[in-house]
Amino acid sequence: MVETVVSVQGLIKRYGEIAAVNSISFEVGKGEVFGLLGPNGAGKTTALECLEGMRRPDGGALSVCGRNPQQDGKRLRQVLGVQLQASSLPDGIRPAEAMKLICAWHGLQPRDDLLNRFGIDVQGKKHYSEMSTGQKRRLHLALALASNPSVIILDEPTAGLDVQGRAQLHDAIRELKAEGVTIVLATHDMAEAESLCDRIAIIIRGSIAVTGTPAQITSAGHAETRITICTKGNSLLPGKDMFNARFLSQSDNYGLWLCRDTAAAVMELLQEVQQSGDSVEDLRVERPSLEERFLELVEGGRK
Amino acid sequence: MNAFLNHLWIQFKMDIREKGTLLTYYLVPLVFYLVIGAVFSSVNPASKQTMAAAMPIFAITMGAVLGMPVPIVKMREAGVLRAYRVSGIPGWAVLLIHSLSAFLHLMVVTVIIFVTAPLLYGANIPQNIAAYFLILLILLFANIALGLLIGVSARSQSIATILSQAVFLPTVMLGGIMFPASMLPEPLRIIGYVLPSTHAMQAFSSLAYGLPSDISAAISLSVMAGIGVLASGLAVVRYRTSMKS
Repeated sequence: MVETVVSVQGLIKRYGEIAAVNSISFEVGKGEVFGLLGPNGAGKTTALECLEGMRRPDGGALSVCGRNPQQDGKRLRQVLGVQLQASSLPDGIRPAEAMKLICAWHGLQPRDDLLNRFGIDVQGKKHYSEMSTGQKRRLHLALALASNPSVIILDEPTAGLDVQGRAQLHDAIRELKAEGVTIVLATHDMAEAESLCDRIAIIIRGSIAVTGTPAQITSAGHAETRITICTKGNSLLPGKDMFNARFLSQSDNYGLWLCRDTAAAVMELLQEVQQSGDSVEDLRVERPSLEERFLELVEGGRK
Repeated sequence: MNAFLNHLWIQFKMDIREKGTLLTYYLVPLVFYLVIGAVFSSVNPASKQTMAAAMPIFAITMGAVLGMPVPIVKMREAGVLRAYRVSGIPGWAVLLIHSLSAFLHLMVVTVIIFVTAPLLYGANIPQNIAAYFLILLILLFANIALGLLIGVSARSQSIATILSQAVFLPTVMLGGIMFPASMLPEPLRIIGYVLPSTHAMQAFSSLAYGLPSDISAAISLSVMAGIGVLASGLAVVRYRTSMKS
């Protein structure tokens, strides 16, 4: 039984008449990477801000390592690190000064090791305003880890980063997970969520549409698995519907089938090839992506 | 306490690195002092009597009322206050440290003027130096509190600039810095009485230099302190309200 470190039960947050977050509930276990996905304005950041103690919820119960974000603000900061979606530091501050400042308020020695770990020059004279977006993001992540928190909230940490910057941050998140840090991650990036998260909740219009592992969420959708096959003698072409697979199209010497039961369909196609005395040159199986499932949910939500 | 002092030292250094702050805290007041001091001391020798008081009033008002608010608004707009808050740095500490850093910078400028004015322009040295610095402290408190209030109240940097100018320009024109307030028309002189600089000038004249003044020093000091207490109280209320919303 994994210990629950983050608990959100029936969280409600309204702005006037509009319910930005409408009774959402989820739990995150120790060492888990939990992703919050959703279109713009779905309520991800609002939900996280309630969890961070930055906004006062209109209903529901929240807990981070047993602390109430609204009542135990000071104790919360000892266990929770936060990288906000939109935040900044004073233009004239240097990375080492920012680290010194935050560590001093936590009663700790400056964690220059964290700056080194994220490739930030500790001795550098560069000011915050002179740093690249990637460097700033890495600095904010390092600062979020300064107090050695057991839970960290990352709100779209890779937004605006180039490919290399994203890869570096992804590696950092994996390292944190390996160290047992619990991570709550809000993102727009499906590939990021699929590769980093143990479980995901998709939020649409302030409510959770689905929760589960990336595999569970994709398999629960209506999209079908694609099987693309090319044989030496083109025995499967022109293509036809099989019992377990529906023929879709043909391109060059490749035929494309759609199926729900992938194993049965592949077996059936291979059997057909074998019976024709043919052999397979190339076989590809593509399961529906999280992005397809996400779009399906979002479109469904709009309808 | 260690965290507070560390933060204050870093803020003090950041203020020097920030061009806008450097201009309003040091460069403009000192250039104004050097140029206007030279002009006034030659065309109006009487101005030497209180030059070591008038120029610091200008420098303090400029630094606190024009220099402080915009960086506070900028911190809020850019998300610096939010980043500090989630990192465990209390909002009150950020504002207090900002104010104390401004206090230290403006004290440095004042001391430069106090020491050099007699040497460069033959300005009178105050008869009562303790009273001079007491008035200075109260003036700093009042103006920094006003700067803080503008900073936490203004919704944008442009509004902060407008509000700052609305205090700063009357201070220069009506406060008795450029010419005696007694020369002003009655309505403008009355308006001038709501400004800390007017009362500072009156208090400097009577308490520090032993010159005649229109208002008693006790009243002037009380008005300045009252403005400081009121402005800082309103700033705290405004800040708390904005944090809740």
